Amino acid sequence: MRHVAFRAAGEGPLDGDFDFVVVGSGAGGASAAVTLARGGASVAVVEAGPWRDPSDYPSSAYGGMRDLMDDFGSQVAVGRALWPIVQARVVGGTTVINSAICVRTPGDIFAQWEAQHGLTGLEAPVRAAQERLERELSAEEAPEASRGRSNLLAKAGADGLGWSDSHYMVRYVKRCAGAGQCLQGCRGGQKQSLNLTFVPEVLSRGGTVLSCAPVERLVLDGRRAAGVRGRFVHPASRAKGASFFLRAKRAVVVAASATHSPVLLLRSGLKLPALGEFFRAHPGTGVFGNYDSPVDMNVGTTQGWASMAFRQAPGLKLETLAIPPELVASRLAGGGRELMERLTRYRHFAMWVHAVRAESTGTVKPSLFGRPVVRYTLDRPDMERFRQGMLLVARQHFAAGARSVIPGITGLPYELTADQLPLMESAPLDPRRYVAILSHLFGGCVMGRDEKTSVTDARGRVHGVQGLVVADASVIPTNLGVNPQHTIMGLAQVFAQALLDEGAPARPVPAGTVA
Amino acid sequence: MLWLVRSAIVALYPSGGALPGAADCGLDGFLRRFRREAPALVWLGVVLGALVFHFSAFFTVFVPLPAFLLPAGLRDRHASRIASTNVYLARQGIFLVKLAAGLCWGADAEVRRRLALPPLPADPGTWRTS
Repeated sequence: MRHVAFRAAGEGPLDGDFDFVVVGSGAGGASAAVTLARGGASVAVVEAGPWRDPSDYPSSAYGGMRDLMDDFGSQVAVGRALWPIVQARVVGGTTVINSAICVRTPGDIFAQWEAQHGLTGLEAPVRAAQERLERELSAEEAPEASRGRSNLLAKAGADGLGWSDSHYMVRYVKRCAGAGQCLQGCRGGQKQSLNLTFVPEVLSRGGTVLSCAPVERLVLDGRRAAGVRGRFVHPASRAKGASFFLRAKRAVVVAASATHSPVLLLRSGLKLPALGEFFRAHPGTGVFGNYDSPVDMNVGTTQGWASMAFRQAPGLKLETLAIPPELVASRLAGGGRELMERLTRYRHFAMWVHAVRAESTGTVKPSLFGRPVVRYTLDRPDMERFRQGMLLVARQHFAAGARSVIPGITGLPYELTADQLPLMESAPLDPRRYVAILSHLFGGCVMGRDEKTSVTDARGRVHGVQGLVVADASVIPTNLGVNPQHTIMGLAQVFAQALLDEGAPARPVPAGTVA
Repeated sequence: MLWLVRSAIVALYPSGGALPGAADCGLDGFLRRFRREAPALVWLGVVLGALVFHFSAFFTVFVPLPAFLLPAGLRDRHASRIASTNVYLARQGIFLVKLAAGLCWGADAEVRRRLALPPLPADPGTWRTS
């Protein structure tokens, strides 16, 4: 059992030989690594961020940005507008800071992948993996006692409007206490993020974990991936530490995220026409409802209600999302005494959000310094969906009894009453008018049969390179219209099993047999 | 540059109302920590946002003075208008200042008490070392 955290330059370089080297420890990396370890292979997981346990998690939003987020949360997609990208940089990846929402990959997605990208044979194994994951990670509906008033109001509003789907979320959270701290990491340890589950299991099965260890490049031996090179970085001072070189006897599995995986492959000299292309996202924004009596949205689960009634048309997912006062303060328009007056209503706010199943695509390429640069702009049909989603959420608030809504669209009044909603219907479609984020990211190393339009095959194997697999959201070739963690984990486990099946018979050890 | 950022924040989150202002929330210590811990580009963005705040008063309240020299009432009107300006990059710069300030303000124990939220324990800033 071995975990190597930061290693100072003076301690000398680190190297090792493993069957598999997995780059990244988030939903994709940890799920692949645990499958490989259960199959009896020797595995090294290399994670750019530090390993933080619940006792290390920050309480404040500032601490969350500093300790858990990639680049202090400052990464943005560059286009007509600058929209932030939310990703973690910590062992467990974004599973540490998300709401652990568990939604099975919709059947129409597999059909679309087969028809448009020639990807066959994925549905059955991914379904089987997802069923297993749900059992192992205690997927359960947000319990009644921890739902909080914001989630209850959202359900009431959707039911009042007669939406065809309105449900309390199923999440990888065991006996949620409703602390409202999902975004800063669940200090109670109820959220089954992968730093608490699969990564420790990899260690207990004899694997190795390197944390604070960003991989700089893949080492290629001709057309075969032979390992990875990198250098430790201190998580507080950001000082460079010792270098490391890990050799992979069987394969390197890249699962560094939809922004970092394509850039790592490009930095390593891989030349594939589709590499870094077809970046997609679920852009989203929130609308505050302003209620007469306090909602106290930070009491209860951070995200507990959702609707998929509009997933097919117009292409939206609706959810609740409680954000702390630190973020509400900057999210509300205005400054000075006017802003302070608005903030006095904080307890009366409920924030509900939408995620757009956008068809627009962008690119991810390395900057001069090797960091990912995302270029992405929503086209007009997607902006129309975006605005339509805000309208749906606003109507839901009014159906739940809100006295007004706060859309946050520049150029519109700060607050709208129900009879002012036509103003939202005709709001400008310029993305610069909206405050939005890109929460679910896809593409950059997309799967497909055609080597000209894809980077990997249906098992994540990079075209033309032996022993190199990509196993994260970057392989997903279309938008899902649902939260992607479950799909990423399912795909990663299927890819890892395929790797095991390709090689010599290993010594399979069932889940749960190692303490 | 610290004073420039500080004065922009104090104008955007002023004291004297029903809730404490940023100046009442340990702002000086927070800003020193923020400058030390945030990536240089983030800090640079906040400084640029503060510069936009101070040197745009002519366009909002039509007075050719930096915001830190304006009388309090006029500065407050400027804070309100510049935070909602139609000039996208200027608005983004002010947003960054508001975000940094909000991280300090919203975590303050007294602010949280007034918003019926429990105080936050200190961020440990620790990680597994072995």
